[in-house]
Amino acid sequence: MDDKIKRNAQPFTRRKFISDMAVLGAGATALPAWAQKPSAKTGTVRVWGEPGPYGGVAVDAMNEWAKKFAPGLTFKLETLAWDGVYIKLMTDLAAKNPAHCISVESPIAFQLMADLMLEPLDDVVQKVGRNRLVDGVKWEYWGAWKGKQYVLPAHHQATQMVVRTDIVKELGLGDPDKWSWDDMRNAARTISEKKKDVAGISLALGRNLCTDYHFAALLHSAGGRMFDPANKFEVVFDSPETVEALDYVKSLQPYMPKGAVSYSFLEVVDSIVTGRAAISFYWGRPYGRAAEENKPVFDALQSYNHPRHPKTGRRSNWNDFQGWCIPKSNNQYVDEVKAALVYYQTSPEWLVRYCHSLMPNVSPVYKDVLNNPKLMTHPFFQTKKDTIMNYYVNSLPHSSSTGNEMLKGINPLAGIVHGRSILAQTVQKVVVDNWKSADAAKWGAKEMEGVRKANLRLLGGVG
Amino acid sequence: MSAESSPADWKKADTRIGILFVIPFAIAALLFMVYPVIEAVRLSFYEHNPLRPEASEFIGLENFRTIFEDALFWKSFQQAAVWTFCSIVLQTLIGVSLALLLHLPLRGISIFRGLLLFPYIVPTVVIALIMQWMLNAEIGVVNWSLKSAGLIDENIYWLATPSMAMLSTIFLNVWKYTPFVTICVLARLQTIPLELYDAAKVDGAGGFRRFLDVTLPQLAEVLTVVVIFRTIWTFNKFEEIYLLTKGGPGTSTFNLAIYSFEQSVANLRMGVGAAVGVVMMFLLFAGSLIYMRVFRFDEDDTA
Repeated sequence: MDDKIKRNAQPFTRRKFISDMAVLGAGATALPAWAQKPSAKTGTVRVWGEPGPYGGVAVDAMNEWAKKFAPGLTFKLETLAWDGVYIKLMTDLAAKNPAHCISVESPIAFQLMADLMLEPLDDVVQKVGRNRLVDGVKWEYWGAWKGKQYVLPAHHQATQMVVRTDIVKELGLGDPDKWSWDDMRNAARTISEKKKDVAGISLALGRNLCTDYHFAALLHSAGGRMFDPANKFEVVFDSPETVEALDYVKSLQPYMPKGAVSYSFLEVVDSIVTGRAAISFYWGRPYGRAAEENKPVFDALQSYNHPRHPKTGRRSNWNDFQGWCIPKSNNQYVDEVKAALVYYQTSPEWLVRYCHSLMPNVSPVYKDVLNNPKLMTHPFFQTKKDTIMNYYVNSLPHSSSTGNEMLKGINPLAGIVHGRSILAQTVQKVVVDNWKSADAAKWGAKEMEGVRKANLRLLGGVG
Repeated sequence: MSAESSPADWKKADTRIGILFVIPFAIAALLFMVYPVIEAVRLSFYEHNPLRPEASEFIGLENFRTIFEDALFWKSFQQAAVWTFCSIVLQTLIGVSLALLLHLPLRGISIFRGLLLFPYIVPTVVIALIMQWMLNAEIGVVNWSLKSAGLIDENIYWLATPSMAMLSTIFLNVWKYTPFVTICVLARLQTIPLELYDAAKVDGAGGFRRFLDVTLPQLAEVLTVVVIFRTIWTFNKFEEIYLLTKGGPGTSTFNLAIYSFEQSVANLRMGVGAAVGVVMMFLLFAGSLIYMRVFRFDEDDTA
């Protein structure tokens, strides 16, 4: 772990705590008068969220606001399955019947904001407090376009390399934090060979979002990318880096469960929690399930930053940067949703509860929450503090996403690439159809070029 | 009606009542069958993104060119043909066999006839989700049973290998729709005059001969109808494949319905999706005509 990361891993200094509390006191604890403006509107405010208890916590907070200031309103959560998000979102938008408030992953939010389908939220950001973000992130990571903020942070959520440390120790496979791509592959091979009924590594290879994200992390580690925002969003996917990442996935395949070619989020979590796989890339979700269902696995799990690429040294993860946005279309509750968002986003209690609802899956985005002593009252801090801090803090210098590749520029085309599963299909051409990686990369690039050409309007004249 | 009403008046009144009865169906057919077809045909000549309907643009045959140049369209077509052919052959063979069995005059046979309907009445979504679990390679009951019986040593990846996934979707379709074939054939079997069998017996025909020369010709018409309908329905099937494999792994279980859905909903290219629908409609129409021609189903016996 380098020094910078070590510094980030120790956020609980007295000085830092006092300064952050001062920020919170000045900007957040007092609920702005704007959020206290009563509303006489009635009805149900529909809120979309991904599966998980945290969406429910946020909606509980919004309902607390409604109880105080808009008694005729009820906020209601509608949970969308991960792999169904894009289709549900697009069909409801097309039918002009989207939810009134949406929690969505950044690539899809970027597409919507570039398509001018979202309400600008600069006024909300102002009330929430512009200076509250944790070190290493910027507001634009959640969704800003042409100088306007369209998305309010809900959490950040990076993948990490999840490792069964008991197996790694038993087989003498070294310190996972120091692994390169080659080391991780060797570890996966050794585990597959020596541990009966345990796959060395479990990654999603199905035609779904999880595969998109797993592959994107490897692509970015290798230094490759899909589009180049600095050069009119030219497609740069047909590159040696893409080929290398595809070759690497293919070389890992023998050490994965055979069913991995149809794996998505749920199956990867299952393989970790049930002990059928020893290594994976995943968000913090398996810890909660393992704690409930398989204590020995929970005890042995630790998460580290992704393995280093041997040449670039990059350890890119896929960070969700999930945020709240408000669709413009047919939305009679814009003011109420804004007020409710301010209410919950300025309440450290609700934000801590949000993080606690699924540790360590949803990382705090505000300093006053990260440094809040109440956050550390969660029992996982007693045994998994390093893992939690890897997800919360140490993942940030290595964060990347398809919508903001290597954090070098927002790309509104990524949502469409996910909608069409272009990355996952590229991977499947190699692992299922046995295409050469170079041919699959060419195919993927051609599809992306089709997306770019058909959506030049999203690029706002820069394409 | 007055006592002076003439037969012509009666006829007029009958016609009026007949029209009245037909009107609800005609309206429903226009709204839910004719209009969607016309709209799909119209849409197939347009570039249409549902998020931006105001930018809809007439592009002639461009959508058809797009699909005909897309290798995935042809792959989906080929796979749809394989899936339809295998499903129909198996459904027909098993369906007819079961109907013959259920036609036997055995005690309690009506219970089995009732049970036969079970797969047909259970919603597809329920069956598909249950089968997903049953066929799960690692924790599914199918592999567990086969292993316990000593029939396999290694797990079979039913839904994760292309050939097995196709086999699994065909199995689901055959299991669910064979009862339809059985019921249709059984109904026809029960109306075949027994005299025909008696005459064949007198002529010295054995059981198999009687099946070939009496039963099968009598079933020809019902089988023609059943095969045409099952072919159309199976070729168009979306939900079974989508729920079970989502067209995967890779695109190994894509058919044209899934391809159309992907283009329309995931890619938001409604025009391209509609063009696929139009092609499917023509394919099935042409296929049905050829089939009816081959089996001379359209000829009037009295002619």
